[in-house]
Amino acid sequence: MPAAVRGAGARLSRLGATLPFLAPAQLLVLTVIVLPALHIIWLSLSTSTFGKAPVFVGLANYIHVFGDTYFWRALANTIIIVLVVVHVELLLGLGMALLFASGLPARRLLLAAVLAPYAVSEVSAAVIWRFLFDPDAGPVTMALHALGLPGFEWSVDPAHGLAIVALLSIWLHLPFTFLIIYAARLAVPEELYEAARIDGASKLQSFRRVTLPLLMPAILLAALFRYIFVFRLFSEVWLMTQGGPARSTDVVAVYLYLEAFRFNAFGTAAATGWIMVMISMILGAGYLWGLRREMRAHAA
Amino acid sequence: MPPRNPAVVAGKAIAVGVILLWSLFPIGFMLMSSLKPGQEIFAVPPRLVFEPTLQHYGALWEKWAVFFRGLGNSFIVTLGATLLTVIASTMAGFVYSRERGRALEASALFLIVVRLLPPIVLTLPLFTIANMLAINDTHLVLILLYATFFVSLGTLLMRTFIDYIPRELDEAAMVDGASRLTILWRVIRPLSKQGMLALAVFVIVYAWNEFLFAFVFTSTRAKTAPLVISEMLGSFDGVDWGVLFAASSVQLLPILIFVIFMQKHLVAGLTGGAIKG
Repeated sequence: MPAAVRGAGARLSRLGATLPFLAPAQLLVLTVIVLPALHIIWLSLSTSTFGKAPVFVGLANYIHVFGDTYFWRALANTIIIVLVVVHVELLLGLGMALLFASGLPARRLLLAAVLAPYAVSEVSAAVIWRFLFDPDAGPVTMALHALGLPGFEWSVDPAHGLAIVALLSIWLHLPFTFLIIYAARLAVPEELYEAARIDGASKLQSFRRVTLPLLMPAILLAALFRYIFVFRLFSEVWLMTQGGPARSTDVVAVYLYLEAFRFNAFGTAAATGWIMVMISMILGAGYLWGLRREMRAHAA
Repeated sequence: MPPRNPAVVAGKAIAVGVILLWSLFPIGFMLMSSLKPGQEIFAVPPRLVFEPTLQHYGALWEKWAVFFRGLGNSFIVTLGATLLTVIASTMAGFVYSRERGRALEASALFLIVVRLLPPIVLTLPLFTIANMLAINDTHLVLILLYATFFVSLGTLLMRTFIDYIPRELDEAAMVDGASRLTILWRVIRPLSKQGMLALAVFVIVYAWNEFLFAFVFTSTRAKTAPLVISEMLGSFDGVDWGVLFAASSVQLLPILIFVIFMQKHLVAGLTGGAIKG
């Protein structure tokens, strides 16, 4: 059928014409992410240290990681931090979005102030935190003592260590979470609130029946984003506690780093890496599913 | 309008005060401490009134030349990563906005899926590969890494912005015999400046502040400013807080001013234009 052949030919030439435009982005991703990721599968199935030829060992690295209490500790810490950080961020972000939407003077200036932590590097933030919360002389510790409260003993108590890391992470990333929810709140048409008011709905009712359902997609999106990104948390922990004392505040990314670059165990590090990838994929599956639907809609 | 309830107004004022304190206190504390003379940094309670001095900045300049080299490295890496990301994302975003097809849809999804791989996982093989290619501890390795980790989001962002440019403009140019490259340069580029700026802001903030890749892939020649600060923080012979606050302030101020200045673009990029920042 000549028409079909012509169609296929046109499609092919079109592909040829568009390929050079896609090449830079796709080549970067292919060489820096995809091929190395495949290489990790091979690494995870072999023993290897830096500079030595790898030897195939099957699933031994995975068995080693799953039998390592440090790994389970790191995974438990990561899950705790993810749950605390993401949910506190969502609550605070939602509260701030509602506050901003209720009408504030000098809104632009306030927005600039709220966004400021976005510009701060993890390193500078850790510098400030380490000083403010210093267990002996930090101003925040002193203020807490002055109020008769206990300070954060984060250099000796793992629970306090995790709390300080979570606080730092929330401070750095709240602007992002807030903005996503705030944008969704501004997209809610004012008429809906008018209508709710005319129907005699109370403030609480209009929040539960109008605001919350309409904000849900944005909240879920922010939640997924943050689940995925907090799960790979490294810098905040490394800069605050280095996983100490005695590896009690390790998170999975720190565990991986120590295996690879301190103990030179590339095999177990790679296995840990693939375990991280799998968990990320599971976390991301919901996001991707939604994105695919959106792309279908876009393509239609 | 409902009548203004004083209790509600007071509640809002308190909430705004708490939010401002939360967001600005740590930054203000750092900037102020960097200007405090000698031991006054440790005064309890912290003093708000003091005679500002640049002594810590002087000490930073004298003792930590490596920090200023780090700033130079950060600048080069940020510039390179931003250019590469914006160019690659605009080119790909252009195609994804204008063309349809199952293969294209799959390749766009692929760009996003790979972003689920945690960067720390990739440091393992990349470290070995970069060593083999002898590009460890160079600006190039950081530029490539930063661009790669932003090109997925960048492509999506540019596609969204280019979607707003009427197709009729491309078609008119095509009728005049313009190639795709000409259309991208003459039609799309001038009209998608907003998107490029928004994307550039994201990449600049990310590349200027990034820690993990700089930590793993650079050691002496291409060491960036955040990495130098982290080394000052971990120094064995006691942390010199005054100098450390000065270094953190020097690293923060340019990017903070930039973010405040570019707030509009940052907000537009994050929210698809829903909020006018």
